[in-house]
Amino acid sequence: MKKQKSKNKGGKILAVIVLIIVFIFLLFPLYWMILTSFKTNMEAFRFPPTFTIKNPTIQSYKSLFTVNNDFFTYYINNFIISGLVTVLTLFVSILAGYALSRYNFKWNKFLIAAITAAQMFPVVSRLISLYGIMSRAQLIDTRAGLTFALTATLAPFSAMLMTSFFDGIPREVEEAAYVDGAGRLRSFVNIALPLTGSGIFACGIYTFLQAWDDYLHAVTLIQTDELRTLSAGIALRYLGELSYDWSLINTISIIGTLPMLLIFFFFNKYMVKGLVSGAVKG
Amino acid sequence: MKGRLNNRRNGDRLFSAVLLIPILVLSIAFILIPIVESIFLSFQDYGSKNLISGKPGVWNNFENYKDLFRSGKIIPSILITFKFVILVVLIQFIVGMALALILNSNIKGARFLRSVMMMPWIVPTVISALIWMWIFQPQYGIFKYFVSVITGGAVTDFAMLNNPQTALWGVIIAALWKLTPLMTLLLLAGLSNVPTDMLEAAKIDGANAPTRFFKIIVPYMSPVIKVSVTMSIIENFKQFPLFWTMTGGGPNDATQTLAVLSYREAFVSFDHGSGAAVTTIWLVLMILVVWIFNIAFPKEEMD
Repeated sequence: MKKQKSKNKGGKILAVIVLIIVFIFLLFPLYWMILTSFKTNMEAFRFPPTFTIKNPTIQSYKSLFTVNNDFFTYYINNFIISGLVTVLTLFVSILAGYALSRYNFKWNKFLIAAITAAQMFPVVSRLISLYGIMSRAQLIDTRAGLTFALTATLAPFSAMLMTSFFDGIPREVEEAAYVDGAGRLRSFVNIALPLTGSGIFACGIYTFLQAWDDYLHAVTLIQTDELRTLSAGIALRYLGELSYDWSLINTISIIGTLPMLLIFFFFNKYMVKGLVSGAVKG
Repeated sequence: MKGRLNNRRNGDRLFSAVLLIPILVLSIAFILIPIVESIFLSFQDYGSKNLISGKPGVWNNFENYKDLFRSGKIIPSILITFKFVILVVLIQFIVGMALALILNSNIKGARFLRSVMMMPWIVPTVISALIWMWIFQPQYGIFKYFVSVITGGAVTDFAMLNNPQTALWGVIIAALWKLTPLMTLLLLAGLSNVPTDMLEAAKIDGANAPTRFFKIIVPYMSPVIKVSVTMSIIENFKQFPLFWTMTGGGPNDATQTLAVLSYREAFVSFDHGSGAAVTTIWLVLMILVVWIFNIAFPKEEMD
């Protein structure tokens, strides 16, 4: 009995050690990013590096707001595109999710397989011809083109997510309304839709997060600097070959991550629930 | 009566079809057609000239494919891609599983740790690349400092991303940092499906921890394990922004995965046909891998 206990204790200590190592790995880079952003480049380039700051400075934040404010063009563009993509993706995937959940037709099975496969295809493989298609449709280098391309990429997963949310709502309520003479559209919009409120919310947040992260679509489909989004803008403008301004880059990293972090900590519960149910059931 | 039922069924069919139109239009226009077209392009001599003038490409008798093999570009790319995917997925799964098991036990602050853990996953991919580039920076990077301290000053010029031997590991570390949290989250969700009374009973019967893990936990979690590992394989097979930002495929093509190679061929050398040939090979390999994985780990029915 005593031996069992000491063995348990050993296991617990091991667990705590693993936990500490993994969390240092996960969190130290973030700490380092924040620290560097408050250093002057003089201090950031000191070797060996300093782990606390002697003279914290908001110099790079100031320079971001005054000198390097192209950044905010990209930033605002990222909000616009992510917002548009989220709205459009929700619209498309709510409709599709409802159809796939409520009606059982032969084509459903095929569609679900196609949708699952669509998530697998690497974006690069589509971009080559997407570039041509967008040029022909006069959508190259426009917000509309980027929005459509991103929505097409993100809608399949969202549709699966919405299907699983609609599956979670009992059909009987709508059946009853249908018998009472409510049309299909009315029982969908007035009855089923309000019941999936939190699911739609989770799906929206996840889509926004994914759209915010886009790099590849934007870097290929957008050429005008005023239309560039965050990731593409940062990569093309601030990553010169040699003269890195690392405190500025770390400041940009923080400001670029901040909206996501806020969204995540406010809506953590919804997002985790949405992601888990979508991935595990879908 | 039967007529009315039929009417309702036809109405249902129409309604459901209308609801599906938007996603179908988007998917056909921006996913299906591009994929089919890029497979066609891979058999053609097609460059940016064709794109600008709208002139169709010319069938070139598998020349794009032959060139890729002749120039010796494709085989190393395939090997690098596989090395990256296998290492990331494996380490990610082991670390994720360990972390999930620990966080699932009644350790203090597990709920708090669970949300803090997700932070790297929230960071946009390009920004993750920047964070790690700064850590690996060859002159002032903190990683170089750690290496020199650990080796007792023997290695003082360690440059992770500038050395062909270690550059891939640099990207692997960044990928692990960004993606392990999601794996852990999904595995944690799977762990909650494992019946605790069964684990207790096994413990009383004297089953040790490894037995409990392999005989009870893994079988109950197998659907979740399968989904999360498949997701991770696909995600890492597709990885592009980390490579493009951190190494651009270098040094000496040491990190030139299929994603990087196809992008370079298509959008740097503007040989769209060759780029399309790379993506076609890539696509076939990916389907094969996912297919083999599905055969190796068949879906088990759990009651």
